[in-house]
Amino acid sequence: MTKVGIIANPVSARDIRRIVSHAGNLPINDRANIVLRMLTGLSATGVDEVVIMPENGGIRTQLMRTIERESKTGRQRFPKVTYLDMPVTCTSDDSAEAARQMHDQGVGAIVVLGGDGTNRVVVSRCGNTPIAGVSTGTNNAFPELREPTITGLAVGLAVTGQVPCDHAFSYNKRLEVRVNDQREIALVDVAVVSERFIGARAIWKTESFRDLFVTFGRPDGIGMSSIIGLLAPLDRETPKGRRVRLLPLETAKTRLTAPIAPGLIEEVGIGAVETIVPDDVYLPSVSAGSFALDGERELTFSEIDDVSIRLQADAFRTINVPDCMAYAAKHGLLTKEANGSLHVAQ
Amino acid sequence: MSNPFPLEKDGLLDAYRRMKTIREFEERLHVDFGRGDIPGFVHLYAGEEAAGVGIMMHLQDHDRIASTHRGHGHCIAKGVDVKAMMAEIYGKATGSCAGKGGSMHIADLSKGMMGANGILGAGAPLVCGAALAAQKLGHDGVGITFFGDGASNQGTVLESMNLAAIWNLPAIFVVENNGYAESTSVDYAVASDSYVDRATGFGMPGITVDGTDFFAVYEAAGEVIKRAREGAGPTLLECKMIRFFGHFEGDAQTYRAPGENEDNRKNRDCLKIFRAKVTEAGVLTDAELDAIDAEVLALIDEAVKEAKAAPLPGPAELTTDVYVAY
Repeated sequence: MTKVGIIANPVSARDIRRIVSHAGNLPINDRANIVLRMLTGLSATGVDEVVIMPENGGIRTQLMRTIERESKTGRQRFPKVTYLDMPVTCTSDDSAEAARQMHDQGVGAIVVLGGDGTNRVVVSRCGNTPIAGVSTGTNNAFPELREPTITGLAVGLAVTGQVPCDHAFSYNKRLEVRVNDQREIALVDVAVVSERFIGARAIWKTESFRDLFVTFGRPDGIGMSSIIGLLAPLDRETPKGRRVRLLPLETAKTRLTAPIAPGLIEEVGIGAVETIVPDDVYLPSVSAGSFALDGERELTFSEIDDVSIRLQADAFRTINVPDCMAYAAKHGLLTKEANGSLHVAQ
Repeated sequence: MSNPFPLEKDGLLDAYRRMKTIREFEERLHVDFGRGDIPGFVHLYAGEEAAGVGIMMHLQDHDRIASTHRGHGHCIAKGVDVKAMMAEIYGKATGSCAGKGGSMHIADLSKGMMGANGILGAGAPLVCGAALAAQKLGHDGVGITFFGDGASNQGTVLESMNLAAIWNLPAIFVVENNGYAESTSVDYAVASDSYVDRATGFGMPGITVDGTDFFAVYEAAGEVIKRAREGAGPTLLECKMIRFFGHFEGDAQTYRAPGENEDNRKNRDCLKIFRAKVTEAGVLTDAELDAIDAEVLALIDEAVKEAKAAPLPGPAELTTDVYVAY
């Protein structure tokens, strides 16, 4: 039996960026609809069972109501749906615990609804289980914007073995941040800011920016990584990262206008840009401040702390949705004879 | 070591003092009510202090708030005199409403506290009025209404959100979400389940914040209030929080999971979280906070003593302050 995990945490994309910028809010009903659309894709490609993270924000209620309603009409478009048996804390900890349990259950892949922050939390606990991000968060540099039905199809094709591994999966870089014995990761960027408290987590005050490390940065990207994207772009595959020192506007010789969050375009003072290589240890340019991981303050540090930043290559796997679908097209995986079943690649 | 927090040392001490005062006030009422010393009914705010204080630290007297039936914490955070409050709850003539409001109708207009309210969701239209007044008078005052996850279903709240949105009022809707509407779980009682989604439906932004973390509430509330003062309109702020006591005093709390209260006190106590942050950062010392603890305990003792000794309102007061002539 092929099983897929789905993590749709209703607490994602609810933070202060709705006030300080114009970040979006994807309503609960739409999140449930996204899961439903994904289920149709998974079902169509032979996934038998889906295990979902429990929550009490309403997604489960909407989802099960629809599944029940459609089963009464005789339509059976969905795989069997079960929920993990775990306490609900209504925090991002639920995503972490669900990822851990799904990995332990041996699911073929975990589909994550969220932005960079939610994907980061899942990757930190999912071990070698591949993930597929569905862009529903505040800042979506990591998960690509795509119709969830297609993500469902691609995940199904990958986990059922219809698409071979070299097409089905991609390896990704990540950054590891260490403060004494505490280690956290970032998938896209680590920003060092001078504020030394966590508070509302998001970062938007450019005067506090001091340093930025990225795994990749696209010129058309959003969030902190867009700074690198506009200065010295770097793709997801190249096994190196970039660092740029960020300076107060009054002392910077170069100023960059960058979309540092959805709806928030600010001038940022730019210092030196350099390449970082995997496994080398880097230190922040200030002795005290906070590390914002994929846009959210997570760790504080001061002069007495032992801190480091390290790029890790080939650190975790994602479902390569475009390649899966291209392979399916090329090999007719979704084509069938008038009286036959789906073709299966040999 | 430099201060990493968005408040100077005096501000941090002030925040802690307000939170600790709420805590001790409520803990004392819990005991005194159990002994039968207090008339009427009380609903306690202990455990939720970081939300009330994190918001109220940004306000001045000309900013108006409307509270719920659980209003003591909001009063103290807004600066209402603690001794007058205690006397009010004891039903004495020296109380902030001359002993006739009691716990559920306690108010102090001089501090911008428009009142606790026994009617669920009734604070929302009051705050729209206060916000409209600020807008028309041309000052930068804001109106903030607090309500719980249960009251969020009241028509008054939804109608007020609509009004605030179309008039672009400097009104802020604070959902204090402890996960239970009296004894009914949120999952059962709230159809859309997301308060932020409801705000979106009215075209206003909504955000969720960890209500047990003073600094998270303080920073988020600061932006929300600044936005309202600058004329950018209403916002919904959902504080996810826990409460140490039941819905009302005497509530057997059978709806809670075994050990939930103990776990909340041990691991999610907002005062402990605050103390750990400021002492670990080396900005405040345990001795400084302990000194506040002692001062607050003495204040509460004194307030109870004075409340007990104060006279009841006389028969001549029966019809005063009851009707307003226009």
